Amino acid sequence: MDALTATLKIAASGLGAQSERLRIVSENLANAQSTGNFPGADPYQRKTVTFVSELDRVSGGSVVEVGAIDRDPSAFPLEFQPGNVAADENGYVKLPNVNVLIEMADMTEANRSYEANLQVIRQARDLISMTIDLMRTP
Amino acid sequence: MEPVNLFDLATRQSQWLAVRQTAIAGNVANANTPGYLARDVEPFEKVLERTAVSLSATQQGHLGFGATEAAFGTRVQEYDGAILPSKNTVVMETELMKAGEVRRAFELNTAIVKAFHSMLLTVSKG
Repeated sequence: MDALTATLKIAASGLGAQSERLRIVSENLANAQSTGNFPGADPYQRKTVTFVSELDRVSGGSVVEVGAIDRDPSAFPLEFQPGNVAADENGYVKLPNVNVLIEMADMTEANRSYEANLQVIRQARDLISMTIDLMRTP
Repeated sequence: MEPVNLFDLATRQSQWLAVRQTAIAGNVANANTPGYLARDVEPFEKVLERTAVSLSATQQGHLGFGATEAAFGTRVQEYDGAILPSKNTVVMETELMKAGEVRRAFELNTAIVKAFHSMLLTVSKG
């Protein structure tokens, strides 16, 4: 495979991975207040995404892929809400272990990485068109 | 016709630049991958040194050691920055700088080829 086509493929894999990450962030943010629906139930558990680098045999480059989507094992914060349906016998409700600030930081980072991959695609496109321009008659 | 050396050289450099761009794309795509080590292509001077001494094929049966066949190997880039918990060694700023270098070199390359080509055209048109 031609190296510039391989560049486009690798950058596209980066775009895919970062948008998957953004999807997980939005899932976490949407469920930031999702408690359980019976007394003492576990609330929504924050999801985390990991990336793995894979050698692409066709292009010889290292494309990125989404690895396992895991659950954050950190403890759930407790809040005293006796009226809640998920409250245990002492009136405490387990809230999701989602920290909105962390999710925001993650979102910004995913955004930046997405932009960097876009920039690589833009540049590869420019290099290809520079090569094609050699054939234009002046 | 005696092959003009400049075109061969320019072709090789543009191939090398394309491979370098691929290495940069791999680094940028893997900027958030745990354990990924940033890669770069070997310097162009090294490639030139390696292929300078090559046997020329004067007969049909000769095996080709053509310079255009040269594959540009990528290798793990040296890293002297802070070791992150993720063991990732990609520095986005360095990658952007390298991308800028590739762009400038490619522009120069195509401009030289264009100029040389128009000179040839002028000569052959008379």
